[in-house]
Amino acid sequence: MSDNKQGSKTYDQLSGYMYEVTRKDGMETIYERFANQQPQCSFGSMGICCTLCTDGPCQITRKATRGVCGASADLIVTRNLLAKCVQGTVANVYHARNVAKTLKAVGEGKADYEIKEPEKLKDLASKFGIDPKKDIKDIAREFGTFFIDQINSNDYTPLELVKVLAPKKRYDVWKKLDIIPGGPNSEAATALSKSMTNVNNDVVDLLLHCLRLGIANEYAGLFGITTMQEILTGTAKPVESSVNIGILDPDAVNIIMHGHQPLLAIKVLETARDKKWQQKAKDAGAKNGLKIYGSLCEGQQMLNIASEYKDIFYGQIGNWIQQELILATGAVDVLAFDYNCVMPTISEEFAQKYHTKLISTDKVIRQTGVERMEFEPHKANEIAEKIIQRSLESFTQRKEVNIPSVKQTAMGGFTTESVANALGGSVQPLIDAISDKTVKGIAAIVGCTTVREYQSGRHIVTLAEELIKKDILVIGAGCCSSAMQNDGLMDVKAKDRAGSNLSGLCSALGVPPCLSYGSCTDIGKIIQTAVIIAQELGVDVPDLPVVASAPEYMEQKAVADAFTAVAFGLSLHLSPAPPVLGSPLVTRILTEDVEKLTGGRVFVDTDPVSTAEKIEAHIKDKRKKLGLKI
Amino acid sequence: MKKLKMHLERCTGCMRCELECMAEHSSSKSYMRASLSKPLPKTRIFVESMLERSVPVVCRHCKEPLCVSACMTGCMQKDSKTGVVSNMGHEQQCVGCWMCIMACPYGVINTSTDVVGIKGNVFSQALKCDLCPDRENPACLEGCPNEVIELVDIKENI
Repeated sequence: MSDNKQGSKTYDQLSGYMYEVTRKDGMETIYERFANQQPQCSFGSMGICCTLCTDGPCQITRKATRGVCGASADLIVTRNLLAKCVQGTVANVYHARNVAKTLKAVGEGKADYEIKEPEKLKDLASKFGIDPKKDIKDIAREFGTFFIDQINSNDYTPLELVKVLAPKKRYDVWKKLDIIPGGPNSEAATALSKSMTNVNNDVVDLLLHCLRLGIANEYAGLFGITTMQEILTGTAKPVESSVNIGILDPDAVNIIMHGHQPLLAIKVLETARDKKWQQKAKDAGAKNGLKIYGSLCEGQQMLNIASEYKDIFYGQIGNWIQQELILATGAVDVLAFDYNCVMPTISEEFAQKYHTKLISTDKVIRQTGVERMEFEPHKANEIAEKIIQRSLESFTQRKEVNIPSVKQTAMGGFTTESVANALGGSVQPLIDAISDKTVKGIAAIVGCTTVREYQSGRHIVTLAEELIKKDILVIGAGCCSSAMQNDGLMDVKAKDRAGSNLSGLCSALGVPPCLSYGSCTDIGKIIQTAVIIAQELGVDVPDLPVVASAPEYMEQKAVADAFTAVAFGLSLHLSPAPPVLGSPLVTRILTEDVEKLTGGRVFVDTDPVSTAEKIEAHIKDKRKKLGLKI
Repeated sequence: MKKLKMHLERCTGCMRCELECMAEHSSSKSYMRASLSKPLPKTRIFVESMLERSVPVVCRHCKEPLCVSACMTGCMQKDSKTGVVSNMGHEQQCVGCWMCIMACPYGVINTSTDVVGIKGNVFSQALKCDLCPDRENPACLEGCPNEVIELVDIKENI
């Protein structure tokens, strides 16, 4: 990795400060590991390395145009891609199943939770034939059971979730392509069977299966997660909060909730409010008591509902690449994490060095030497108390504390409903703003951050900045949101960095030009916003002046999300290039041909400035076709 | 003399040349077996990352080699017939002083610190490309899947 123009490996100042601390302490971080991995093999990055069978590993080279089994570059690329798409889909579905399980447990009276949004639950359940006049607990139990059954259903029966919830125009497109999915787990099993050695060599069929998984990923995964979590934790409301490493308090007992599933975090927030625990923290020597923070996507979800927890939630710490730097402050007493985006070095190297007590809270995550407190809906309060107890013990073990002094703020809590509420009850004012060109269009910048683009997103930040200059409203989710927050782009003051029209709109509404929708699983909400705008306008999703972008995509969930976006007809920008370039055919299908099928397509550009230009051109093109001012 | 010419635009950075080099210079001629025994296999060709591209770097067998001038035992020599620069197979023995590494402008000399002598003593040795004297073509050339490495004959007045 070459260094950026400031001569630092980190794009974010506070991360840069913490990185110097790790250097001084002789700790190897993700930056050193990335450098040690260079050069990385192009066979892998182009997708033409196959390790499936013992006749291999095979690579497509100048002298070998096929693997030993006979697989062409096209087939190897597609099989590899499908396997990644499966992994991403099942991970999201696993998360959704956990939430559904909790919802069902609430209905059965076996959970430490209650229904915070009964109307939303009734409205949703009634669409699936559950009588909304029933007792809310019965509805929760029935809908939770229904959702789990949907996840486990066969792939030869189309998903009810898709049949009922998909917009008519999209459904017809999917039906024509024969990609209406059945149960996601079953679809995943079929896909893995298809991608085995010597089974399927129809590249188009394999790619259509990716789209099928993409649709299941939305309805049985992302949409389910977001909606059921809102039912259990409350709907997001716009709120001002604090962000980045500098918000850690040296004079408080600090707990960070890290990962993707916010249900336990909510209980930790509620428990930590108790005067008993605050007093115990003070007795332990922390004059500012006990403070709870969120990190990566869990933090984004906590930030979404922070308006209810202002007294105890102290902010969103950072994105996944920052985790080692966060521990290096020496001020994290407990890091409690559930699944996805926890580096092995956290438990193997950093926790010991910087005194942090680690607790894992989900059954899929096991790290050696880490205490497990596996989440069960009826044990949430008990686990929350234990986590706080451990933080008090850990606080007394603190060594040197090193926190950058800069405090940053950002606004969070946007969702389809809260955007509509901010606009006075419907999305019509947003549609008007798009029509009269106050807002040229919308770009959703979502997904991971990658160490290839330095810490806290050179690509994300530069792209968002270029877009708002062009009066394009930016919606963020996942670690992308974190990168924008760390750069101040999600603070209301960022309106000064936007073009004059967008800036005016932001001033009038009191919102920043880049809106955070929350975690990477909240991408489902962004798609729902696009669907609602399309329905209000009476058009289909591909006709909208809307673009999705994953400018620093990293892992498998992003692959599944990418196919969700393409299935919904969105134009999707990706960077770095996905591992498909070894097959000109697959590259052409994804970047050109698929547009004729779903209306969506992928384009790759690793330069943020020219990406912004391409997004603007695409938006202009769509505006022209809708007969809007250009 | 024979030299290795690199077609850089074809290199994918898979580092198979390094594996083949290590296998060839081990007694078992297998990287997997050699990595379980001593001395540990060490490469004599290096795939470096430069400007986000992979670049294989290997000994140029210089006309006036600085490593030869720097060698205090005199074991690093340029063969008057083949032009190959090597510290192996000469009656003087490498003592691992690393002066050749200091002198080499290309950074293509590696170190081995666990060579076991006849009497069981452990000593160090400098390792460098010898163009694989036992083979028709060097191992790295044959192992490369993308024909990056070419053996060319260059007229050189030794």
